[in-house]
Amino acid sequence: MRKDRRLHWLLLAPALILMAVMLYYPMFGTVYESFHETSFLSPDPKFAGLALYRRILADRTFAEVVVNSIVWTFGVVLLQNILGFLTALLLNQNLPMQGVLRAIVLLPFILPGVVAAILWRFMYDPQLGLVNSLLLQMGLIENSVAWLADSRMAMASVIVAAVWKGFPFSMLIYLAALQNVDQSQIEAATLDGAGPTRRLLDVTLPAIRDVIVVNVVLTLILTFNYFDIIWVLTRGGPQSATHIFPTKIYETGFGQFRFGEAATYGVFSILVLAVLVALYAIVQGRANRRRVVA
Amino acid sequence: MKQKRSTRLVLTLMQVLLALVVLLPFFWMVSVSLKPPTEPFAIPARLWPDHPTVGNYVSAFRPEFRTYFMNSLVVSLATVVITVTLGLLAAYSFTRAQIVAISALVGLVVLAQMFPHSAIIIPIYKMMRSADLLNTYWSLILAYVSVTLPVAIWMLRGFLLKLPAALEESAAIDGATPLRVFWDIVVPLSRPGLIATSVYVLIVTWQEFLFALSFTSTKEMRTLPVGLNDFIGQYGIRYGELMASSVMVSLPVMAVFFFLQRYFVAGVTAGAVKG
Repeated sequence: MRKDRRLHWLLLAPALILMAVMLYYPMFGTVYESFHETSFLSPDPKFAGLALYRRILADRTFAEVVVNSIVWTFGVVLLQNILGFLTALLLNQNLPMQGVLRAIVLLPFILPGVVAAILWRFMYDPQLGLVNSLLLQMGLIENSVAWLADSRMAMASVIVAAVWKGFPFSMLIYLAALQNVDQSQIEAATLDGAGPTRRLLDVTLPAIRDVIVVNVVLTLILTFNYFDIIWVLTRGGPQSATHIFPTKIYETGFGQFRFGEAATYGVFSILVLAVLVALYAIVQGRANRRRVVA
Repeated sequence: MKQKRSTRLVLTLMQVLLALVVLLPFFWMVSVSLKPPTEPFAIPARLWPDHPTVGNYVSAFRPEFRTYFMNSLVVSLATVVITVTLGLLAAYSFTRAQIVAISALVGLVVLAQMFPHSAIIIPIYKMMRSADLLNTYWSLILAYVSVTLPVAIWMLRGFLLKLPAALEESAAIDGATPLRVFWDIVVPLSRPGLIATSVYVLIVTWQEFLFALSFTSTKEMRTLPVGLNDFIGQYGIRYGELMASSVMVSLPVMAVFFFLQRYFVAGVTAGAVKG
């Protein structure tokens, strides 16, 4: 038995060491960097105490990044989950062409993120883009809109692109959950005279409640961390209208070589993530306990 | 269940609408990629190419593109092989070992899946720089393996939990060494899980952008997503070529996905739905 244990530790070691070195240790590194100042002119890190924190908190862009991150994260998560759930409901009906449609809906999810972003950048082009052309032809707008260059429209535009890319993932999970719902309960409700809306509210939704909660928290975490679409579409602009934590960190670190300040932004984003992850642990734990009881 | 005809009609219309919303951008991407150079500038934008041509594909397949493609291929395949190997070993121990600390370690794996990569990229960049690995395949492979490994372990663990331990035990009683048991029984039985995980890792690494953007500095080391992003500035107005490149970047991973879709969907949803 003891030899067995040694073997298992040996099998675990490469994965554990790699994760420790490449994920857990750098988290402390980020905290360390946030107390040290570097810049393009003086690349040697100098101890700065809390100076970088004070500087960032006093900077107007920090507040903008926080507000943008909230709008972006909640906007994407809400729309992506609603659309994903409705799509899953639709694809869970007994209709012809269901299989083909399921495959089609997954397309944006497999499309590489940068390709999706480039495609949407072109879609949004004020003169050449399809979005303006279609809206103009349908008479929904009177003049071309500069979707990404107009600071009032930019955030909504990147959210739409991200939802288009992301909703198939939510759909996939909701569909699997719907297919696990006990059909006899639905039939019993139908015999009792419940219409489709009642069945949805009284049988289906309670049955998949855990999946909904876990799915929402999971997309919260993924969306908060998402970099590709915003970076390629707007680079955080115009001005800072679409800067969220990941784009701000990248720009500060690799665009301006201010590693310390980038790391300070990183510390703040780790703190937000910690809250989200705690939330995830709580809902997952509750869901598991319920499963054990049931 | 019987549906009324009007209900069916409404549902079918919604299906058509859904397909349109999803497909329109794809259709346009392919359409523009087939347009001769001046056609994308027609105002208002036209959905169909008037004089379709493959010229854009020929010119987009320039030497740099081929370099990016090779880089992506090397990095992705290496990552898939390393991640799936290490992931299976770890997942196996996670499901079979009698180690007290195991649930704490599983917790660390779950936590690692949620790491904000942008928040830890500065120290990783510095580590790569002091190890002299920047602008090499290894910087990307190491980063990719570490970010895909936690999810891979999680997915493979889901598959292994469903395998009956009895088979392994009886083989062990027959005198097979632990390594034999692993190689002759565990590996073949986990094939669907290995395929699902490989597809997942491939999808993630083929499109990874942040690390590739930060760790590579020369054209020779760029991967496809970064190369494509560079195209925007340089060839910003050559939309036909840009879209042709986009199609070529997307095709390999889409092809793999469609052949192995059923494994992949089972793998992703097993973890999420059953926890």
